[in-house]
Amino acid sequence: METLRRVMRWLDRGWNRKARESELDAELQFHLEEEATEREAAGLPPREARRAARLDLGNSALVKESTREAWGWAAIESWFQDLRYGMRTLAKNPAFALAAVASLALGIGANTAIYSVIDAVMLRTLPMKNPHELVGLQIKGKEHGTDFTNPLWEAIRDSGDAFAGAFAYGEERFDLSEGGESRFVHGLFVSGGYFDALGVPALRGRVLTSRDDRRGCGYAGPVAVISHDFWQSEFQGNPAAIGGTLRLDGRMFTIAGVTPPWMKGFDKDLPYDVAIPIGCEPLVHADSVLDQRSHWWLRIVGRLKPGAGLEETQDRMKAFAPEILRATVPTYWSAGARRGYLNYGIELSPAAAGFSDVGERYRTALFALMAIAGLVLLIACVNIANLLLSRAAARQREFSMRLALGASRWRLIRQLLIESLLLSGLGACGGFLAALWGGRLLVGLISRSPFTGDAVEIDLAPDLRLLGFTAVVTIVTALAFGLVPALRATRVGPNDALKEHGRGAVGGSRRFRLGSGLAAAQIAVSFVLLLAAGLFTGTLRNLLDADLGFRPGGLLRVTVDVQRAAREPAERVRAYREIIERLRQLPGVTSVSNSVLTPIGGQTWNEWIASDGYGASPRPDVLLFMNCVSSGYFRTLGTPFVAGRAFDDHDGAGAPLAMILNESAARQFFGSSNALGKTVRLGAAASGPRYQVIGVVKDTAYRRVDEKAPITGFVAMEQTTSPPSTLNYELRYATSSSAPTEAVRAAIAKVSAAISLEFRSFERQVDDSLEQQRLVAALSTLFGGLALLLSMVGLYGVTAYSVARRRGEIGLRMALGARAGAVAWLILRDAAWMLAAGTALGVLGALAAGKLLTSLLYGVEGSDPGRMVAVAGILAAATTLAAWLPARRAARLDPMKALREE
Amino acid sequence: MDKKNDSRIELLQGTLDLMILRTLLFGPSHGHAIARHIRMASEDVLQVETGSLYPALHRLEARGWIEAEWRLSDMGKNAKFYRLTRTGRKRLAAAQSRWDELSAAITRVLRPA
Repeated sequence: METLRRVMRWLDRGWNRKARESELDAELQFHLEEEATEREAAGLPPREARRAARLDLGNSALVKESTREAWGWAAIESWFQDLRYGMRTLAKNPAFALAAVASLALGIGANTAIYSVIDAVMLRTLPMKNPHELVGLQIKGKEHGTDFTNPLWEAIRDSGDAFAGAFAYGEERFDLSEGGESRFVHGLFVSGGYFDALGVPALRGRVLTSRDDRRGCGYAGPVAVISHDFWQSEFQGNPAAIGGTLRLDGRMFTIAGVTPPWMKGFDKDLPYDVAIPIGCEPLVHADSVLDQRSHWWLRIVGRLKPGAGLEETQDRMKAFAPEILRATVPTYWSAGARRGYLNYGIELSPAAAGFSDVGERYRTALFALMAIAGLVLLIACVNIANLLLSRAAARQREFSMRLALGASRWRLIRQLLIESLLLSGLGACGGFLAALWGGRLLVGLISRSPFTGDAVEIDLAPDLRLLGFTAVVTIVTALAFGLVPALRATRVGPNDALKEHGRGAVGGSRRFRLGSGLAAAQIAVSFVLLLAAGLFTGTLRNLLDADLGFRPGGLLRVTVDVQRAAREPAERVRAYREIIERLRQLPGVTSVSNSVLTPIGGQTWNEWIASDGYGASPRPDVLLFMNCVSSGYFRTLGTPFVAGRAFDDHDGAGAPLAMILNESAARQFFGSSNALGKTVRLGAAASGPRYQVIGVVKDTAYRRVDEKAPITGFVAMEQTTSPPSTLNYELRYATSSSAPTEAVRAAIAKVSAAISLEFRSFERQVDDSLEQQRLVAALSTLFGGLALLLSMVGLYGVTAYSVARRRGEIGLRMALGARAGAVAWLILRDAAWMLAAGTALGVLGALAAGKLLTSLLYGVEGSDPGRMVAVAGILAAATTLAAWLPARRAARLDPMKALREE
Repeated sequence: MDKKNDSRIELLQGTLDLMILRTLLFGPSHGHAIARHIRMASEDVLQVETGSLYPALHRLEARGWIEAEWRLSDMGKNAKFYRLTRTGRKRLAAAQSRWDELSAAITRVLRPA
């Protein structure tokens, strides 16, 4: 409070400057009069008294000056003077100011925009109570280690008191519709302690507790908590919604409460809409996963006990992890796989920032883009530094004069740095505004999660950290381009101003040498950025051209959920068969099939298998990626057979179990020998079902485009007696027509109105999975182009300056008979040196950067010499263009005029 | 230089502040009166220079230890009167006890009993 009041007083004094001055005058005047009166009373005549009083006061200007200093404004005032002076200087040269501010706004804006996304998905802590106490659990030694099974969660929950509170949650889309096209909301399965451990109270009603999280739902029946946003959008904020019901996947839930607006869930990519207890899972899933020991779907978070550190809690966890693992080992796994399971460890990591799938997947890409944007800003800085250097040369006299008039060198440097700060500050203002828009654009490009197809909604509201980041970038930028020119410019003597044509320290060849060094550095950085852009574009092209093993064009996917229409397995089989028959009759549809999974669909399914005569070491069993497909699946997708036949009428319910392998699996299991007719045993037990290999297909992408197809086995849908409650249908339609979605909808509605469905095109699915590569390729190309442009502007500036400086010399050469070509070469030669030095440096930089980028590349080499030559060619062409204009000007110089000026 | 000046003692900055605050304890006063009071109370030993007095007053005002108000003086002229604030009163008490300790200590050093 006290400090605040002081600041207010201080500001007040600052604003009322004029009034304060006259007040001080009046105060001193009164003092004089009092003094005079006093002396008069002591016996002096009035005139003498006044004189004595004035003498006693001393130098009144000095008294005023030192009193003013007590106001604390003197220091600030000189800064303001510098600022005003800086603004005037910039205003005198608007073209320079505009160019500098614009390129800085671009550079700072790009950095801030990328940082805003990094901040939102990786750094910003959750708005919960004491987020730094939150830790995430991971399984050490397992891929996707953050996913747990429900038996594991229950064992961890019941295993004691390592945490002040722990919770688990799983994400799921809930369908609000009663049938027909699905209307999905972002749902959560949460454990009873979820809201309590996060410290989230209810805004209305109540939150879920452990009494709700019981198998088959708790004391209040099926209950749900909804988010504030969902309450607003679905119920228009009507308080009567609490206590009302909500249809989720066809089941009715009672709405128990609404959470406050700031509660978006533990995940940052997508705010939650509805949360229901994990115990209610059997209600919405026909096949409950609560007791499945190898269904990984929950994320576990704990809150550290007050005062307990992460390490300490980690140690406690370590103590009872073996017991938890022993109690939950999937007994149906093979001995080897079980051993692997028991060797898992449970680790903790800080989770104050929550979880972001975008953050995980885009981490490397975002940091690479940040580095690229940083380098572009660096190039912009170098340009401005060069411009400031030439301006400093022009302002030699001014500085010299000011030094002669008694300014200190520090004061001049401060003046110049304030001008730089002014430039970068203006640039930062523009950049910050651009970043607010750019960050949103960036998230728009990320737009959807390739696996669920849900648009991501990342909260990018600027916060203090973002402002701080921009401020730091602004200051660093100002120093980067301002410090060297300021030091150089002020290295003049006070008497230099008096010399005619004095060139001083910054004029002449030294400034040119520094300038060309900087231009070479710009070329080097541009080389790295252009090469990176080329590599990323090449990666994207490779991925787009990658042989997926199927033809995504003209292929429609419709996901069908029959849970409400057919609960019994036999009913499902019938419903699925009826759907496929109806779809086959649609006009324009050439082929139809169904399958449990689709390529690049985001889900995986794998089984331990053993096969005839195959002895993989060290374990006799291997993990085979699976899919269950109907006859006609490979024809519909356009996947060619390498050997054998497709599933057909022979592979019905009673026939021997059949399996189709992909090429990789066939090669791994059976080498060069013929795979057809061999048997593969599914599951770990020796009594597991045996399948006969009837065909081998080409490898198809399974999870991702940029990943080698894993070994995969396909079993026949027709031989499955209990298909899952959701299934994918694939339809190949004539590419000349559009996707027959309406006809499909109508056909399926005829089977049952209670079936819900969702359409997605395979092309879209493939495209979405390449979004990161697309983003990186587009932005790196944009930044690479920008870097090239800025560097060439810089090179042009340096060369033009050199021509202007050497007018006299050139004039003399021409007067002595030098030809225009020779003169132009004189100038071009310097540029060629800069190009050569820059390219050499750039190659070194690219070799170093290439290693860092490897994880983002596909099918291209960071050190690809062909690409390097191409980039060098682009730079050479651009350099020639940039240097050609000043060189031509030099060649057309009128020697007489130039010499007369000199 | 007249003789009176020889006996003047250069004041330490903090000391002047202390004396100004002490003077204002008797009630609001203007700059000239403060200087006069200090001079008279010290029996003409301490002469407060105008060049130190007004910066000190303004500094104390900026710190919020004293506050100022324009009103009519005894002679009917408009004068700037300074008054102790609550903070100033607290500071004075603290500074005074520190001063007492300090001067007692110096006395002990200079005039050992």
